[in-house]
Amino acid sequence: MKQTSKPKTVFNQDYMSQAEKVFSAGLVNLLRARGHAFLEQGYAGSWTHDAAGASLLDCSSSGGACNLGRKNAAIVERFKKAIYETDQGNFVMPSQEKALLARRIADFVPGDLDCVLFGVTRGESMDAACKLARGFTARPGLVTVDGGCYGESGFALSLSARPGKEQFGRLIPEVTVIPFGDEGAAAKAIGPRTAAVVMEPIQAENHCRVAEARYYARVRALCDNAGAKLIFDETQSGFGRTGTRFFFEQLGVSPDILIVGEALSAGMFPMTAMVFTPELKHFFDIHPLIHLCTFGGHDLGCLVAMKALDEYERLEPWHGAAATGATLVKELGALADKQAEKVVSVSGRGLLLSLKLKSPQAAVSFCAAASQAGMLVETGIIDASTVVLRPSLLIGAQEAGRIVDGVAAALQAL
Amino acid sequence: MSDKPSITMDPHERDYVQHLFGKHVSWGQVRYLRCAHLDVYERSRKGSTFIDAVSKERFYDCFSSAGCFNVGRGNARIMDTLRDALDEYDMGTHGLLSAAKIDFAGKLAALCPGDLNKVVLCASGADACAGAIKLAKGATGRNDVITTNKAYHGHEGFSLSANGKDYYKEMFLPLMPGFHVVDFNDLEAVKRLAGKDIAAVVLEPVQGEGGIHVATREYMTGLRRICDEHGIMLIFDEVQTGFGRTGTLWAMEHYGVIPDIMFTAKSISGGLYPNGAVVYREIEPLTSYVEANPCFHTSHGGGTDLGCVVSSAVLDYLVENKVWENAAQRGARFKQGLTDIWKANPDCVKEVRGLGLMIGIEYKYEFIGALMADCLARQGVWAVFSGNAPQVMRFQIPITASADEVEDLLKRIQAAVKAMRWYLIALLPLARLPFVRKLLDNVKFQIIAFNLIRDIEEFVRGVFDLKTQGVKS
Repeated sequence: MKQTSKPKTVFNQDYMSQAEKVFSAGLVNLLRARGHAFLEQGYAGSWTHDAAGASLLDCSSSGGACNLGRKNAAIVERFKKAIYETDQGNFVMPSQEKALLARRIADFVPGDLDCVLFGVTRGESMDAACKLARGFTARPGLVTVDGGCYGESGFALSLSARPGKEQFGRLIPEVTVIPFGDEGAAAKAIGPRTAAVVMEPIQAENHCRVAEARYYARVRALCDNAGAKLIFDETQSGFGRTGTRFFFEQLGVSPDILIVGEALSAGMFPMTAMVFTPELKHFFDIHPLIHLCTFGGHDLGCLVAMKALDEYERLEPWHGAAATGATLVKELGALADKQAEKVVSVSGRGLLLSLKLKSPQAAVSFCAAASQAGMLVETGIIDASTVVLRPSLLIGAQEAGRIVDGVAAALQAL
Repeated sequence: MSDKPSITMDPHERDYVQHLFGKHVSWGQVRYLRCAHLDVYERSRKGSTFIDAVSKERFYDCFSSAGCFNVGRGNARIMDTLRDALDEYDMGTHGLLSAAKIDFAGKLAALCPGDLNKVVLCASGADACAGAIKLAKGATGRNDVITTNKAYHGHEGFSLSANGKDYYKEMFLPLMPGFHVVDFNDLEAVKRLAGKDIAAVVLEPVQGEGGIHVATREYMTGLRRICDEHGIMLIFDEVQTGFGRTGTLWAMEHYGVIPDIMFTAKSISGGLYPNGAVVYREIEPLTSYVEANPCFHTSHGGGTDLGCVVSSAVLDYLVENKVWENAAQRGARFKQGLTDIWKANPDCVKEVRGLGLMIGIEYKYEFIGALMADCLARQGVWAVFSGNAPQVMRFQIPITASADEVEDLLKRIQAAVKAMRWYLIALLPLARLPFVRKLLDNVKFQIIAFNLIRDIEEFVRGVFDLKTQGVKS
């Protein structure tokens, strides 16, 4: 055991030096470039703060996890009690908590997506989905679209367009990448060796790119004809973010497997899930415990997520997201028109919005300027020239106005 | 049924929960666990035990969710920490820094031996395994990885590729190319493969799921030497062995060998909130790689503010109470007690092995795993056989267990073995016939046969109004 002194009072600079030491100077420099080299604390509702007390309108929501605002009071209250009712539980065992949450998710998600396998990260749930599709169909092929972003785990990374993934050598084989929106390419790629077609129906990290509605219907039909399964990742677009409970409702197309992210617990607990049809559950019935996750279906997390679902159903935040998002798109579009030399376009649905700037450097500078203007935003992972806006779904008109002002100020500073 | 967990459940409520679980998650899992009498519903988790909501009997938790409860179940100090943290924190913004994240990472690095000074925060053991393998591949620019037979590192793509049991992999092929599986404790096999293509050797110092196999000192020091000679990153999976489980804070301390990369999870937050970590040495090429690629592995649910506050409290608790010393003392007595049971039952027990409070008892036949789990459950001992070696019963009681609890537990195990012998009077002669043994070892047969026995038992108990389970309190 090494000799170290106890951490002292919160001094930003001391902590940044410590972060450089224990994490990396590269990380701190990256944050500095974005204006994010501060200690986050004191967040609540639509706002977060740095250690010096400066307020930032949170347009990150931790990647769309905190859909009901930061530290949602009702969920926190339930969480505090739940700590004394349960713990993680022995992960292999069925539990009342897991069973009840699974039922609640089945009720919450439209269509016949009635079955659940819990995870702890988006990537792990995506990996479980790919395994389920391969296991159920006894086929190896995974078809995905370009520009996707599914997480950092083995299958998820293999499917993603994440820059730099080639550093990790040979990843999962039998992955075919086709152009998003290209029906002809889909028809060519989906066949008797295809286990699943995987996509985010709206690519949050890629300028909120969507395809035409008929594309999704065509892919659905191609999957049905070929006996392949359709997997939608709605980690960022789920739980009301795009103006409906899930984005796929706007497409009239239902997947066989749906990935939901940490918005399931409204950003209070690391819990994700793979939601799938009863047909597919047969695989887990005949192969019990074939896919395990120690923290997946954490009993305490289940109680927290159930309260989050209560709040989603009580508040129905998708209505507000649709209305506020429509206003924001209009106003940000007007700003973009005025600043055409800086903004390429505005895109998105509901409160999942994206600004495309002229270059990745411009996007980084925009984040720094937005920080100065009192707004926390992040660049897109896939299209690094973009800035993603993901505020709480509960923001009002005043806060929406602050977003427009913040974007205007940040653009001005570029 | 409300969303609040019931303190107790009658059989009808239990049936309803099983119905929901079966309908929405997996009927197979319900049946599989029921066949080994592992279908209890935990309530009142306290220290080394929990109460089954249905039978209302107290059980020793000899699985600890594969070693998650090193600070004991229902640890008031850790629970209060989480409760109080909720006044300040949620998960925190992914990608931003906070005092909670930096404090915890600093504390963790300070508790790791040697120059294991650098930390990447993760969300789970599998996530951390992926991070560790990515770090080794990225830093060395090499693709291939050596891993061990029966190894268990997780179920996501990287960790699954590194697993040493085909059952978990064969339905999901093809996985990542370049993973070479060799026998555990076989240094020569590693020597034969070591070369410029190998990025890492990954292993658990004590294989958990594989059946509690303990690495030898010669093996560990030999691996260190081979890795140094060939520029290979030595990776230890301390997900189950970490945080005092084996009698030292880290299992690596038993060997005096420091890996280049270590990853851990499970007990990192006392079973209360998910967290995980990769810790790596402050050496080249690791530091240069991470400086140039600081976001090489990011994890949304890992290193959260709440997780880090809880994990910091867990580390404080472990250090202040030197909990690993308790694991060493209780483990020595427990292992001796199990060894005595082995000596008294050489016809059905093959071996007892382990380190600290990570102990396995290996039976001579695979089918004994489920049978013994059932017999133990009837004695108030909830224990799970190894996923990668069903003939091995794992005992991983919370390492805060008292001396009295260990003595009591040994008595119950003795009684369970005695009860099991009645079954074996009929089964052992049959097991000598190859086709019968194959049938008995078959999991599907076990599920059908043992569930049928449970059905008959419950029917008889219902008719004669007997207690649901014969578990002693």
